[in-house]
Amino acid sequence: MCSNMKALDLQMSQKQFTSWRKSLQRRSTLAIIITAAVLIETTAVVQYLFARKGIREEVQHRAQSELHAKSLEIRKLMVEVEASVKNMAWVIEQNLQHPDSALGVCRHLLQNTPSITGCGIAFEANYFPQYGRWYEPYIVRQADGRFKYSQIGSASHDYLQSEWFVKTKEKNGGYWSEPYYDDAGARMMLCTYTFPLHDTRGRTVAVLGADVSLDWLGKVINAKQIYPSSYNMMISREGQIMACPIESLVLRTNIQQATEKMKDTSVNSINRNMMAGRKGQTVVRDDKGQKNYVFYAPVEGETGWSMAVVCSDREIYYGLRQVGFNLLMLMLVGLALMGYIVWRMIRAFNRYQELNTSKVSMENELNIASHIQMAMLPKIYPPYPDRKDIDIYGLQKPAKAVGGDIYDFYIRDEKLFFCIGDVSGKGVPASLVMAVTRTLFRVVSGHESAPDRIVAQINETITEGNESNMFVTLFVGALDLPTGRLRYCNAGHDAPLLVGDGVGALPCVSNIPVGIMSDWKFQGQETLVLPQTTIFLYTDGLTEAENDSHGQFGMQRVLEQTQQSLAAHEQASTLLLNRMNRAVSDFVNGAEQSDDLTMLAIQYTKQQQEVRLRKAITLPNDVQTVPQLSAFVDEVCEALAFDMSVTMQMNLALEEAVVNVMNYAYPAGTQGDVHIEAQANDVRLKFTIVDDGVPFDPTAKEEIDTTLSAEERPIGGLGIFLVREMMDSINYERVNGQNVLTLRKKLAETAEN
Amino acid sequence: MKTTIQEQDGNLVAIFEGRLDTAAAPQCEQDLKPLNDCAGHDIVLDCTALDYISSSGLRLFLGVLKNAKPKGSHVFITGMNADLRNVFTMTGFINLFEFK
Repeated sequence: MCSNMKALDLQMSQKQFTSWRKSLQRRSTLAIIITAAVLIETTAVVQYLFARKGIREEVQHRAQSELHAKSLEIRKLMVEVEASVKNMAWVIEQNLQHPDSALGVCRHLLQNTPSITGCGIAFEANYFPQYGRWYEPYIVRQADGRFKYSQIGSASHDYLQSEWFVKTKEKNGGYWSEPYYDDAGARMMLCTYTFPLHDTRGRTVAVLGADVSLDWLGKVINAKQIYPSSYNMMISREGQIMACPIESLVLRTNIQQATEKMKDTSVNSINRNMMAGRKGQTVVRDDKGQKNYVFYAPVEGETGWSMAVVCSDREIYYGLRQVGFNLLMLMLVGLALMGYIVWRMIRAFNRYQELNTSKVSMENELNIASHIQMAMLPKIYPPYPDRKDIDIYGLQKPAKAVGGDIYDFYIRDEKLFFCIGDVSGKGVPASLVMAVTRTLFRVVSGHESAPDRIVAQINETITEGNESNMFVTLFVGALDLPTGRLRYCNAGHDAPLLVGDGVGALPCVSNIPVGIMSDWKFQGQETLVLPQTTIFLYTDGLTEAENDSHGQFGMQRVLEQTQQSLAAHEQASTLLLNRMNRAVSDFVNGAEQSDDLTMLAIQYTKQQQEVRLRKAITLPNDVQTVPQLSAFVDEVCEALAFDMSVTMQMNLALEEAVVNVMNYAYPAGTQGDVHIEAQANDVRLKFTIVDDGVPFDPTAKEEIDTTLSAEERPIGGLGIFLVREMMDSINYERVNGQNVLTLRKKLAETAEN
Repeated sequence: MKTTIQEQDGNLVAIFEGRLDTAAAPQCEQDLKPLNDCAGHDIVLDCTALDYISSSGLRLFLGVLKNAKPKGSHVFITGMNADLRNVFTMTGFINLFEFK
């Protein structure tokens, strides 16, 4: 019970332990995945940032190169225009007094410089009094390639107040005008380069203007973009948009007006910086929130123009984002895969754990089974401390928690019933058959004294329904303690050894083991065991005990040990078994036990007592002779000085026993004698009742139930019950065709009574 | 062994004297036959002078009881000595009979 409770507690704590371990597993797995994710993520982010930085530097580099290249290209054109104009200015100055020839020079300028669409000379007020206050001869290249002359100075076109005229004079050098749309002359987007003309005295008398078409400018600036959707733009020093992808804005709008509604105000600083001729780069979010990188730098020269390259963030990092996205996907797939693998591992691990738990609980149950089984075996030695005629010692070492070996013994009616057996196989199945066999041995021998019939009955029960084809080698013995007569039946078991005058195997006929075939006629045998002889029984676990090199203990060693035991006068059961056990342990030397090992030693230690009284009477099988029997018993009791009470008990026992014999050993109508002998030594009184009738064992009768009511009680069955009550023992033997019934009464007890 | 049947105070009284063993049992059984007709009377088994009883005698007692009970008669035992009473105790017969 206690061990069961412990097992339960153990199971409970194991369950708690298992659930705790499971949650720990779950948590640690989660931790593993999270750590892996964080590591991968961090690496990816770092890589992404580095890649982004690289790309940004690359973009910067490309944008600056672009700005520089475009700037150079524009500058080249500007310089070309400026150079042409400066070169021609000197020639024109020589012909100032002849405006027509000066205009001829201008035509020449137009012809040599394709980027110049028109050219005019704006004279100081009233320079030629005959032409009036405003005089500005002008020549323009027409769409058909011809040139058209005109005088465009007038009150409505008062160039004297215009910015380029005033600035050029002030500067007294070349000046690039703000871009404008010329609706008077060229009817296109223009920008004019003006240069002062001096007379021979060095006074500025006129301004030469060369109109430059800005169509080419837009084409140059937007000729090639660094990204498909990036664009370049250019503004004048006043913020006028000179080139941008939205053509409707060109020259129509100031950059500040164009951007004033934008949410991101950083665009204003760009505008300021560009107009101030500074270079730089800024991130601007458009109204959709998209980031745009703006790189800007002034165009070299005197124009004050500024150019910007605008790239969308999305486009710059498109490739990186694509790679990043793919990486992220790959990482997620990897993590999912990892999670799955870890989950599978945990599941497998948990299954293993569960298996382990159930294994542990199974082991607990096996331990309990082992306890139950051990409880079935005799375990208190010496088993009969009060008896001087028998000395028994048994030993069992199961190979597994539960074993398939069986041994048992007990005394009934002055007979020692004992058995030893070996169930085929090991472990739980064998132990179950062992338990059944042991129970059958007890039940059958409780009413059957002949070992061959005991074995036969056990065989019938085990064979019936033996679907697992297990069998038992079984030796059953019944040692008649008063006489030393041993009856036995060996069903395929190792023959026991008799250790007495010498060592020898008990002769055994070859019966088949129990459980193989029903209706097998098991043959019984008998022998006389002399006092001080030890019967040594064992299972093949002894002879087949193996050491590490698979050598077997063997029969030879068993014989040697018993012989040594005998030589040392140590054939007492305990000494013999301990010697054998030591020998086999030394031999095996710690190797794993392969089979159950069982040994049982029974020493017959009967002491002969001096007979002090011997009386006999022979009666015919007639119950009317009971008074003669009574007189005989009274005589014996008187000789032993029994009191009235005990004398009556002896009378009762003898009458019942003898009447039983008279009634049953001799069938009705047959005649025969019953011999009764009384024998007494210092210890006990013994009555021996012998007849020549049919075999009749009164001890085999089942016990009566003394608690039944009058109606339920059968008439009869009381006789043998009374004998058992009155005497210390009753013992039946069939010897030499005679029934021999022995009744015993201890004298010491009678004296006390 | 002597068995006498008397009628006392409306009861049937069987008086046993001597040893009721297996040899004496058949005669005793004959002597007890009048008790079969016990309707309306209780039975008293007077064992004052009974020295000995074996299982054959116990069987007779049980026979008397089994016969009397269905007829509503009580069976009493009187005067039994300690040794015999011990036998009755041992066999459980003490629970079957009423003792006076």
